[in-house]
Amino acid sequence: MVFLPPPHLASASRPAYAEAYANILVAHRRSPLTSASSVIILVAPDVDALCAAKILAELLKQDDVMHRIIPVSGLADLERMKDELVTYAELHTLILLNMGAILDLSSENWFGQFSMKLTVHIIDSNRPQNLANMFAGGENGERFVVWDDGEAENMGEERKAWEALTYEPEPDSDEDSELDDQDEVQSNEDDDPDDGEEFSERGPSGKRRSLGDGDRSQEKRRKLDDSTRLSREQRDAYHELIAKYYGSGSWYGQSASATMYILATVLERVDCDFLWLAILGLTFQYTTARISRDTYDKYHSIYYDEVFRLNPLPPDVAANTTDAITAMSPDDLSVRAAEELRFMLFRHWTLYDAMYHSSYVAGKLGIWKERGRKRLTGLLAKMGFSIPQTQQPYAHMDLDLKHQLRAKLDSIAPEYGLVELTYPSFARCFGYRASPLSAADAVEAVGALLDVAGGIRMEVEVEGARHGGEWFGGGRLWEGGRNGEEKREKRIEVGSRQKDGDDDVDTDVNGEERKERTWWVKNFWAAYDALSDIVPLRDALSLAMSLHRAIIRQGTSIIDKQDIRTMRSHRVVVLSKGPDLALFAHPGVLARLGLWLVDALRDRLPGTKIGGLKGRGKKSLPFVVACLNERTQTYVVVGIMGALDFGDVRRNEFGLAFIEAKQRCNARSRHSTFDASVLEIEQEDLKLFLETLCEVGEGY
Amino acid sequence: MALPQSLRTSVTPLELELIASEQLVEIVPLITMEKTAFISGAYGPLRPPAKCRIPLWMATNLKLKKKCHIVPPEWLSVDFLQERLTRETSRPEFSKLPFRFAEIAKVILDVASDDVQNADKIKSLLKDLREARQAKSRDGLQKLDHSELSLPNLCSMEINEIRPFFIQSMGILTQLVREPSAE
Repeated sequence: MVFLPPPHLASASRPAYAEAYANILVAHRRSPLTSASSVIILVAPDVDALCAAKILAELLKQDDVMHRIIPVSGLADLERMKDELVTYAELHTLILLNMGAILDLSSENWFGQFSMKLTVHIIDSNRPQNLANMFAGGENGERFVVWDDGEAENMGEERKAWEALTYEPEPDSDEDSELDDQDEVQSNEDDDPDDGEEFSERGPSGKRRSLGDGDRSQEKRRKLDDSTRLSREQRDAYHELIAKYYGSGSWYGQSASATMYILATVLERVDCDFLWLAILGLTFQYTTARISRDTYDKYHSIYYDEVFRLNPLPPDVAANTTDAITAMSPDDLSVRAAEELRFMLFRHWTLYDAMYHSSYVAGKLGIWKERGRKRLTGLLAKMGFSIPQTQQPYAHMDLDLKHQLRAKLDSIAPEYGLVELTYPSFARCFGYRASPLSAADAVEAVGALLDVAGGIRMEVEVEGARHGGEWFGGGRLWEGGRNGEEKREKRIEVGSRQKDGDDDVDTDVNGEERKERTWWVKNFWAAYDALSDIVPLRDALSLAMSLHRAIIRQGTSIIDKQDIRTMRSHRVVVLSKGPDLALFAHPGVLARLGLWLVDALRDRLPGTKIGGLKGRGKKSLPFVVACLNERTQTYVVVGIMGALDFGDVRRNEFGLAFIEAKQRCNARSRHSTFDASVLEIEQEDLKLFLETLCEVGEGY
Repeated sequence: MALPQSLRTSVTPLELELIASEQLVEIVPLITMEKTAFISGAYGPLRPPAKCRIPLWMATNLKLKKKCHIVPPEWLSVDFLQERLTRETSRPEFSKLPFRFAEIAKVILDVASDDVQNADKIKSLLKDLREARQAKSRDGLQKLDHSELSLPNLCSMEINEIRPFFIQSMGILTQLVREPSAE
């Protein structure tokens, strides 16, 4: 397993992205059994991976490489997929997007068993990455290529530590290993001295030793005194370093779509579509609090330059808010830079609603109380927006009010404690087919499609139906992903399951599992299609809005009822009843609820010190949200580490905490997604699990 | 082969587009390629940045993969089309235009509108031209008689439009002309 440095760090001896891509092409063109299954791309279900997959698919299509894209929802799914992939004889390239960095892919459990001509490329924004993936070399290692973003340059210490620990034998076995080494050195003398560090499991002690190194280390050991051998203290220090790397929680690196965009830049094939997809990936990372504001700004400036390089605007057009952007021609598909307000989807419903539903504003003004809502109307009135105006859908608001909105907000909002309401972002024109769409809105729409396009009954508001519009119903069912008949089938399934005996449960569960997988896959493809087609994307905006409404409803009721239990090291919310329970049984939606709660309660709750491995603890707001999934009688638990300042992020330590708590209390649970901080646990075990989690927290 | 009734009378516009795609256009390639043999002939070699003439179907394929830039033919420019349009509207007969201009213009504007200057203006000019010529062909059909229909300078899509109608009507007119003489 090697890691690829990004192109700006590449040199002749260190191949970078372009060479890896060229190797894919070469392998495709030379293999006699080329079929659509020779290049397979496994994609995790988030917006960033989706964008990266789209860019990669387009690049491959332009090079006439047949490929397949397969969505994978979690570790279990990945295992299943791996078992299936073993049977494909013509597979020579496997690309993993936003998954697999933490797994030791060369082990027997994963891809160690596959044929030698398979190359696995790992493009993952999750950190920490498995150090074996990054640093192990050798023939076996060459098969797994991690596309790195430059961070690996800073991991020199971890690299040294890992190599020392893996290649040097442990001191207590030194006696017999020396003897064994002496025997094997004779046979190894003829080995390739160019130190291909072969990983071999031979050796009676079964410890992984590098036999190619056997020469060198043997010689070292011959001339050795105790000073050159790895001392106990050093070994401990190395162990601690590596444990610190793995144990400090999970965070995110460069988005997968940014990596793909860099690849396209190196191949000199960028265009507006790729730029837009890369921007979406970045915006997704920022709005879901995976990266901090500083990281966002860094990447934003890169994309800003790209926008101006690819879309030169005539100098008299100086639009810096999305409202002022208009398409200049029917084919205008350009991307423009614009400032974005932090209100959620504000261009698509009324201004009042947008501020009401924004977690930041909600937190500062205390929206869940009547007093808070009055303050909101007061704020709007001070800015000069009359109540009818704010209740109008944004598109129908007065034009001058729209233009003044930003200026007014800057001047008046700080009185209420609302600062930093804007952040620089981008918007895209779609010719004359639709009005320009901002990046944040697009990310919301795609995310909503991924989570709830099918499989759940969502009511969506029809515009103009408020205040007694044409249809007094005011809502219609979201029709996406052909969920009608599936919904009916699900109801029947649940009913029959309760009647039948236990022997039927398995088949029913399997049938439902299959259905779960299929609706989830349909969501994936609906979102994938929406990325290139503006019409479904616009429709998905109303879906995103109703999703938000549900989240707000649930969040405000939680805060109202003071449902948040405070443990010593974190806060817990358990949802076991409510109108939207089925909706929140999805990890993605539950995570959004958690983020909303963190944002809303940021100022009202004191941060807790989560001690790190050395008690260095930074203050943060750890939240654990659990929701009952009635159908499977399990709880979905999500752990979120909120930061105290807006725009900052903390490493999420819940992954490790969950794993440890799970082991301690032997709860029946599984990780259903790639994120270790999302857990599905049996209903009866939840209480015990939460108590164990507190103990684990205290142990920090 | 049995085609559905609607397709038996004439060719569909998509088929006309396919036939028109055989014509050669000039491109500026971005990749190198040797002289390669295709079914319809051998084309190439492609040596950027020298221009090369290849069939439109190949140019479209390369353009979609961003491997070339299409050079619009000289009749696909604002001046030429403007001049033809004024001629069209001022005189009663059809002005001379390339035989398959409608199909080629459509393909190029779809795929390579960034390579064409003033694509919007050209689209509107093409639309005006079509309307002017359509009016004239409708008038011309009124002069249909049993022996001949002379509409010089008509282009392939326009011929295709009126073909079903005038074949049938010519047949009927021939019958009508024959009957009186039989009496």
